[in-house]
Amino acid sequence: MTAHIAHDTLVEDVAGVVEGVPGVAFLKPGLAARLRSAWSGPAAGPGAGRPPAAGIRLTPGPEGWHVDVQVVASRRDRTVDVTRAVRDAVQAHLAALSPGGPPARVTVTVTGLV
Amino acid sequence: MTTHTDPPDDARVHGDDEHLPCGRPLSRVWDDWERRTEDPHRTGCPHCRRAVRELDELETAVRGLREEFPGTDAYDAGPLTRRVMDLVRLELRPGRPLPLGEPAEDLWIMEAVAARALREAAETVDGVRAGSCRLAPADGPDTGAVELRLDIHAPAGAGLPELAERVRRRVRETADRHLGMVIAAVDIRVTDLVDAPAGDQEGRTA
Repeated sequence: MTAHIAHDTLVEDVAGVVEGVPGVAFLKPGLAARLRSAWSGPAAGPGAGRPPAAGIRLTPGPEGWHVDVQVVASRRDRTVDVTRAVRDAVQAHLAALSPGGPPARVTVTVTGLV
Repeated sequence: MTTHTDPPDDARVHGDDEHLPCGRPLSRVWDDWERRTEDPHRTGCPHCRRAVRELDELETAVRGLREEFPGTDAYDAGPLTRRVMDLVRLELRPGRPLPLGEPAEDLWIMEAVAARALREAAETVDGVRAGSCRLAPADGPDTGAVELRLDIHAPAGAGLPELAERVRRRVRETADRHLGMVIAAVDIRVTDLVDAPAGDQEGRTA
């Protein structure tokens, strides 16, 4: 249970890092999920019915973390530069959490441009 | 060094699914439903019904949000609704993941997202209307490049080879400057001439 909570916390942590990268509009799930939750009303609450930071998937492996990130990016920025910045930010963040560990493998997929 | 040239698993599972399990293309199911065509299969098939229900719920959500905001009666929200639904369709029908940047960088963009940007680039050439835009990884091991096939409607009277070359150039510029996608080949197919008699030049390749 403790490990589960720690994993969720780390996912939220990485989500915050990704959302802070210039050129990232928001994490997937994007518009469709936001519309659904907005229409379901305040009783559902923000983010209700979805896992925390569903655009982030963290998988531990023998060679370190594999982080799968799905983002909607801004059209104003060159898309590949945004994805590189996301990768670098996530790798730097995880490296700071566990110095000396193997570098995280980060996969970044752009699922929309706004 | 480990290279990562395979598309991400999650995107592959969800992204390549142009066809529903019943074999119907999702785009056709949605188009038929929006045109309210009679189709016994669609009403009986659980896969088609689910696909239609998802789109219907989202359209309801968009209309509902619009009505909830006071003062929105003062302007025509139709274009906004269409724009929102265009974006939603991109999310629900994203196509396959395609590589960005250098080979093995493990950076990707969904086909429908890239295709939209490249179609818009093609339409910056005067008189050109972009149609189907299909993108696929270029043949060869780990090239990191993408091949593109774009259908266009061309203005009647235009020199087609020159026009195709201008479209090709705009598409390549956008792929490089705005997306960062390496394009191996751009195949332009002129499927119609605007203002020309119907059927003229159909399928001519430039």
